[in-house]
This record gives sequence, structure tokens and C-alpha cells, in this order.
Amino acid sequence: MRQLNKPMYLFLSLVLALFLGASAATAMESADCLACHSDADMVGDAFAINEGQFDTTAHAEMGCSGCHESVTDAHPDDGLTPSKASCKDCHDDINKEYTLSVHGSSAACSDCHNPHQVKSATEVAGFDMNRQCATCHDTVEMTKLHDQWLPQAGLHIEALPCVTCHTGSENYVITMYLLQRDAKNRYSGFVPASREDLAKLAGEQPIQALIDSDGNGEISLSELRAFNGNPQFKELRLWGMMTPEKVTHTFQILDNRWDCTFCHASGPEAMQTSYVAFPEQDGSYARLAVEKGAVLDVLNGTPDFYMMGATRSKWLNIAGLLIILGGLVMPVGHGTLRFLTRKNREGKGH
Amino acid sequence: MSEQSKKMIYLQPTPVRIWHWLNALGIVTLCVTGAQIRFPEYVNIFGTYKSAIALHNTAGIVVAISFVLWITYYLVFAGTLKQLYVPTKGDIQSGLLRQAIFYFFNYFRGKPNPHHTAPDNKFNPMQKAAYLVIMFVLVPLVIVTGFMLLNIEPLRNTLLMVGGLKMVAGLHFILACCLCAFIFTHFYLATLGHTPFAHFVPMWTGWEEAEEELEEQKQPH
Repeated sequence: MRQLNKPMYLFLSLVLALFLGASAATAMESADCLACHSDADMVGDAFAINEGQFDTTAHAEMGCSGCHESVTDAHPDDGLTPSKASCKDCHDDINKEYTLSVHGSSAACSDCHNPHQVKSATEVAGFDMNRQCATCHDTVEMTKLHDQWLPQAGLHIEALPCVTCHTGSENYVITMYLLQRDAKNRYSGFVPASREDLAKLAGEQPIQALIDSDGNGEISLSELRAFNGNPQFKELRLWGMMTPEKVTHTFQILDNRWDCTFCHASGPEAMQTSYVAFPEQDGSYARLAVEKGAVLDVLNGTPDFYMMGATRSKWLNIAGLLIILGGLVMPVGHGTLRFLTRKNREGKGH
Repeated sequence: MSEQSKKMIYLQPTPVRIWHWLNALGIVTLCVTGAQIRFPEYVNIFGTYKSAIALHNTAGIVVAISFVLWITYYLVFAGTLKQLYVPTKGDIQSGLLRQAIFYFFNYFRGKPNPHHTAPDNKFNPMQKAAYLVIMFVLVPLVIVTGFMLLNIEPLRNTLLMVGGLKMVAGLHFILACCLCAFIFTHFYLATLGHTPFAHFVPMWTGWEEAEEELEEQKQPH
């Protein structure tokens, strides 16, 4: 192996030192920023960042200066306002489809998305998506509006993220969330179960073990049945929502969503994929896959998830058919014997 | 049989007939729209799914109101509910068996029906037992489950108490299948009068042509 000469050795050392120094500076920079900006008392609510939530975002990987390029080491003493990146600098495709949509002129990216808390679509609970929409579109008003044409509008709005119908999103699955009610007041409404409350119930085990009892990272039908039948969890219930896997920003009113059969005639085949989403510490949700077709179970698999036309059970259909066929026993069986023995009744008036 | 005389009896009062045909139309509508609601990929009779649902809900409400009026009429105004629909001790001890033997054996041999229809004794023991289960168990349950499915949000806690939405929807479906099966049997049994239409006419006109043997008439009263 050829020995490195002295100038070359010095050059490589310099490059390495610069590289390590730059990496350290970036890491230091974000930590420095958050030393102040994670404290609302110090910087005010408008500039405060939830460090726990920010750390898990894709944006955190870029560091603060990735978007606020002009920030200097002298900030804030330099008196300069750091620059802000435009979302479209990185998300140009999304920006294009969004600006063309009916929503494009009504709200900017940051009106719906907090860049310091962004999560991928499948990490956001369906009801949290709707909460975001409700900041402008009041839920009561929207329910009234939908009530004009949509049967059980309130129920639909509870079971569907708005984007399921109002964007061109695709690949719908059933995502179930744990809801809970106050054990002391069983007539209280159900609200999303917090991670803390679930952790108390789970004890030393991870909260997923409340349902995924064998800890294999997948929820079987028998585990769902055991969870639903467990009296210890009687204040919990699984609330299923139909959520898109691939969310688009093409906000629109799609013609086929006026037609109930778009969802309700999708058949049991569309009900095969489902998940249970558990709350994480940062407010996002992590999903565990559920056994294929589990939401079609007759009773205790998902006792509170029923979608007319789509979640019909094969076994109940067979039972229903047998009952109806039972009703044909008299006309067919008795009728045949009646026809064969008709001569016995001739002239007897019956 | 030539010794028999024909006598007309007023068997079905007007409110009962209106109720019966309203129910018949309602239940058939519910079965057909129900089929479309459960199997929308295969059944499309009423155009859109939404119209099938609207019709199903309307027919359900009509049948429910009709049921309440029926029970009120018999309990309060006619006062004959127990007499007509509850099997007597004799019905249970021997009447049911006698009627079953007639339907499944003696009928084919040309023997007469042991039950004689009268306004205060309209139903044979088997009819009484069947109608008792249908009118006091199946129909109320299908109405209650239907009402719950129509009001899922306000009745959320009640739904959970009875085992969840799926339990209620499943029960509603199975009960509906039972009523559908009943319609086939009911329609067929109605043809078993002394003529095939003998039991249909009184449900339309109120009057039934009764057969009474002369020997019975001659007996001192």
C-alpha cells in the first residue's frame, strides 16, 4: 500500500475535520434552537415548539436551519428574523395538486399543517384529521349540511375522515381506535383513550398488549374477541373508521360520493384489511395489522363496527337463507303431498 | 257434505283488515328493500341505495305504528287479545296435536278440519301459537332493533349494553328472515280453506263463508 505523502495527509485530515465540524454544528444548532424554542415562557406561544413532537417528524432530520436558512449563531441578538422555507420548495407536486383543488385558494399549507408536528397520513387518527377540518368547518354546521341528503349524517361524519370523501384519496382500509368512557359515569360519551390511561391498564406491558396479547405485532380475530369479551375493558371500545392509505390534496366534491353504493356496495372484499391504531407519546398513532377479514366476524370480533351492505357475515347469510328456505317447506312439501292426495278431498269442500 | 248449509259470518272487522293489508304491504316492502340494503351488489330494485333505505325506513315506521295501533285496538277497544291469541290449556294439551295431525296427516286423507272458525275463536291452536310468537316476540323485536339501527347515535349506550351494533343488526336480519319465512308459510296455509280462496275473501270483505253441520244446528241451545 502506497504511503500517503504529508500534504495529502494534511488535506484529508482537514476535510474530515470540516465534515465532522459541520455535522456537529448542525446538531448543535437544532439543540441550541430548541433550548429556547421548546420553552413557551421564554419565546412565547407563537414561537414555541413541542420538542417531543418535532423530533419524530421528517422535518427534524433536516435540522432547524434546513428551513430557516438565514438563522445565524447570533440569533436573536442580531435582530434579524430568520427566513422561512416555502413548503413548495420540497413538496412541489403536492403544492401543484392542492392549488388546483377547490381548497387551494382558501387555506395555506400551514393553516392545516404545523410543520413542526407533521406526521404521515397513517399516523394521524381519523378523528384528529376531522378536528383539523373543524377548525374552519364547524362540525355542527357540517352535520346539518350533510343531513340534507345523507342518511345518519352525524354517524358518517364520526366514522369517516372528511378527506375520505372530499379528496381523490385511495386505498381505503378500516382503522380502529380505542375509545374510553368514564367508569364512574357510564352514560358519559366515549372519547379517544389517552396513552397514559391505556398504559395504566396495560401495567408493565406495552399498551399494544391490551389487544395483541401474544405480542407478535399482529392482532388476530381471537385476540379481538378476547379483548371485546374481557370485563376489565368494559369502558373501552374499538371505534372503526374508513381511512385512506394514500391521501391526496385534490380537494373536491366527487360525483361518485353522492352514491351510497361507492362504499356500501363495496362488498366484504373491501373489508379485508384493517388495523388497530394505538396512541404514541407524540400524539401520533402507530398501527398494528389485524387478521384479514376480522371486521366481518358475526359478533364479538368488532361488535361495534358495522357497515351496511359491506360487513355482512357469510355465516349469518347462510343462517338467514336456511330460515327462508324453512318457510318454503310448507308450500313445497305440503303442497306436493296436497297435489298428490287431491282425489281424497274431491267433493268434500276442502 | 250435501247436508251442510252455507252461513256467512263476519270474521274480520274493518280495522283488522286495514291493519292486515297495510302490514302485508309493509313487510313485503321491508323484505325486498332489506335485501337490497344487505346485498347492494346483487339486488338493485329501487334504483339507488338511498331510495331503498328511505323506503325501508318509511315502511318500518309504518309497520311499527300499525303494530301499536293493532295491539291498542285488540287490548283496549276489542278486548279480545287474550281470547284470540293465547292458547288455552286445552289447546296446549290436545288442540295443538290434533291440529298438527290434521295438517300433516288427516288433511291428505280428506278428513275435515277439527277447528271451526268463529269471530271469537278465529284461530286454530297452531295458529294461536304461531301468531303469539310472531306478534309478541318476532315483530316487537324486529321493530325495536330497527328503531335502534335508525337511531344509532342517540342510542349508543343502549346499543353497547345489548352487545353492540353488530349484534343488533344481526338480530334484525335473522328476525327479518323469520318474518320472510312466515310470509311464505302464511300465504300457503291461507289456501288450505274449503276452497283455495276461502281464507283470502274474509280478509278483504270481512265475511267468511262458514260450514256448519246440520246436526250441530239441530242441537238444543
